[in-house]
Amino acid sequence: MNKIMKTSKDVEAVSSEEIQSDRRDFFRKTATYSVSALAAASVIAPVAIDASEKKEKCEGGDPAIIEEKPWGTTFGYPVTHNLYGQPSPYEHNVTRRNTKLLSSGNWYASIAMCPIQDLNGIITPNGLFFNRCHGGTAEIDPNEHRLMIHGLVEKPLVLTMDELKKYPKVSRIHFIECPANGGPEWRGPQFPSLQFSKGMMSCAEWTGVYIKDILKDLGLKPNAKWMLAEGADNSHMGRTVPIDKVLDDAIIAYAQNGEALRPEQGYPIRLLVPGWEGNLHVKWLCRLEFSDKPYYAKEETAKYTVLKKTGKAIQHFYANEVNSVITSPCPEYPWTDLKKGDIVEIEGLAWSGMGTIEGVDISFDGGKNWVEASLKGLVLPKAWTRFSYIYKYEGKPLLLSSRARDDAGYVQPSVKQERDALGVECVYHRNGVHTWEITEKGEVNNVQVLS
Amino acid sequence: MFKSYHKILLSTALVVAASTAAFAGSDASRTYPNGKKVIDGGVAYPVKNGKTSVYFVNTKAHKTSFKLGRKPLKCEEDAWDIDVMYDGTGLPEGHGTPEEGSEVYEAKCVACHFDFGSGGSGYPALAKGNAYELHKTLKNQRLHPDDEGPVRVFGTYWPVASTLWWYIKTGMPHPAPLSLSDDEVYALVAYIVQLNELKVDGEELDDDTELNRENFLKIDMPNKDGFEPKIRKGPDTVRAYFDNPKNFGGNKKRCMKNCFEGKPVLARINGKGISDYLPPISTKKDLPKKKEAAAGGEGKKLYEAKCAVCHGTDAMGAPMVGDKKAWAAVLKKGLDKVIHNAIHGINGMPPKGGTNLPDEKIKEIVEYMISASK
Repeated sequence: MNKIMKTSKDVEAVSSEEIQSDRRDFFRKTATYSVSALAAASVIAPVAIDASEKKEKCEGGDPAIIEEKPWGTTFGYPVTHNLYGQPSPYEHNVTRRNTKLLSSGNWYASIAMCPIQDLNGIITPNGLFFNRCHGGTAEIDPNEHRLMIHGLVEKPLVLTMDELKKYPKVSRIHFIECPANGGPEWRGPQFPSLQFSKGMMSCAEWTGVYIKDILKDLGLKPNAKWMLAEGADNSHMGRTVPIDKVLDDAIIAYAQNGEALRPEQGYPIRLLVPGWEGNLHVKWLCRLEFSDKPYYAKEETAKYTVLKKTGKAIQHFYANEVNSVITSPCPEYPWTDLKKGDIVEIEGLAWSGMGTIEGVDISFDGGKNWVEASLKGLVLPKAWTRFSYIYKYEGKPLLLSSRARDDAGYVQPSVKQERDALGVECVYHRNGVHTWEITEKGEVNNVQVLS
Repeated sequence: MFKSYHKILLSTALVVAASTAAFAGSDASRTYPNGKKVIDGGVAYPVKNGKTSVYFVNTKAHKTSFKLGRKPLKCEEDAWDIDVMYDGTGLPEGHGTPEEGSEVYEAKCVACHFDFGSGGSGYPALAKGNAYELHKTLKNQRLHPDDEGPVRVFGTYWPVASTLWWYIKTGMPHPAPLSLSDDEVYALVAYIVQLNELKVDGEELDDDTELNRENFLKIDMPNKDGFEPKIRKGPDTVRAYFDNPKNFGGNKKRCMKNCFEGKPVLARINGKGISDYLPPISTKKDLPKKKEAAAGGEGKKLYEAKCAVCHGTDAMGAPMVGDKKAWAAVLKKGLDKVIHNAIHGINGMPPKGGTNLPDEKIKEIVEYMISASK
């Protein structure tokens, strides 16, 4: 307040020309300056104020409160700066991350994990959305990109990107999850980190067009049972989608959280098959072919198949099943600062590719006994859903687990149930209950309960 | 005796059948509008009263047929139709022998996939030996550290050979996809078939046996029946498969109390686990480490924060940064004098421009302003 008063007094003094004598001398020397320019200069560059008086008056006061800060005593950036906004530089540690374990020899066929420990709510900012690619991130010129729809249709079609955007727009909030999320942990916990245990997923609002709307004019033939979706990038990755999904909720998306898709997400267009394996959401989409036979693409034979203990493998395992993880606390944000008796919120994410989250249970003893948590915020089909539980911290070791259920009637299995049913060599589609061990000191360890 | 009986009764009672709780207040449907069950075992949200789930829908928009785009030329379709199907659809004419394939392999593949397709350094193996023998490993489970796992390579695991032709043609070599001729692809497939000791029409391939469009479909893949559901029977077979939770480990029971006997048995991370993350995990809110003091660096930043208001324009009478003439005139006094004036004030400019920056910072700012005005 002091500072502001002094500055406005300066303005008053100058404008009314009631200037002290020592200032008059100063003015005489500045004959080349106009009065108005001087007035501006003295407002803009006032002599800095000594804060020591304040400090004396407030011994032990928080310097964050007592000391004048550069951001409060100078200009910020003008509006001409950063015409595309950037996060605060102080948030530079909130980034996607990689590990060599999850690269197929190089960083072109690899994955960048989403920092879900740092996210809030259910929307992932576009720059943090997890990125899986098989031959690098293509940077496609939208003017030179086409979508071809052919095969078992009466009228095959080629669309420019501008033409595609003329169909009625559909906007939906959906997660995309790589079915290998948590997959490295089939045979036991591996990652002392939430970002790496569960970060192969993100959630955004997507805008695009229903494929079924485009098909209205094309005349799908009765024997069309499958659709190949293929990308235009280095990997030319294809995947087979059954016609049922195409005619239900499959979307060709061109926007993500209100802006164009990022190159990492398939700019200019990608397939969106809500709730299903991330790999099926083909990026840099260029071709849809309808057929009476499935395609046996490499990512539905060599990979993305679930090898059961019977020796048989599940092919075309579409939906990511009901799943959840506690995001606070987590190894990155432990409870080491809590004192006995502190009240703390346990928060987490639940999701199901088969439907909508109905509820989430929490366990403090590794899944022996459960209590119901609260859902929070928007609860949408095939979207991240937040859950919450208010807890009085006792300073004792805990085994903290969450278990979600969906409106298709599915409940997350325990690690034991899942291993008993499928074995440990599945690689994909692991949704067993995730457990954090909270030590006496409040540290958080990634463990699995095998009981 | 009574006690344990009581316990069984209790736990049974507390296993809530989740299906009774499902659909409460939800528009979820087990079936599509055509009456068929949802194919993935989940639910769909048919449009009801102008809404699907909680989303409002302009139903007219989705009933209208839009006529956009154009018909592709036949040659355009052919140019993009690069897939190869299990029945041979899309497989072009051509031929190659394992010997020819090994030459291409040595030139274009060995750097990543190593000698004889053995793989390594993160790149996948293409063969591990006799595929028919190794096929038996698919039931292996690595429950202990020394256990042998299932061998999942082309010969032992993949259901059909067409996938390999398609993959090599459109995805390999990794840095230069679509660069191999059809004959080179046949030759590479022949070489990999030989490495896996796979039979083609009942015989293993000799070095000079030709693989071509005719005998390609006679490659005998040991795991051809190793996958479920049987997708060739069509989507209805897939639908029936996912309608049974037992097939894919689906759970519908919600136990609330005493869900297992005794204390929990824990599996822990072995040692430090996998923690070689790039960049390392950090939750600090600090400024990124300076890479290299960029041109101007601190001086530029301070200039913009403190001095640009007057010196960023020629309207204030102060020499404008970027104005070569004005700064050449100022510098006639010599650099030391210019810095002295900046610290002590000159004409309309108060000492240090009204800041309380230390002298050395003022010097940095002046140096930046001069360098930006050359």
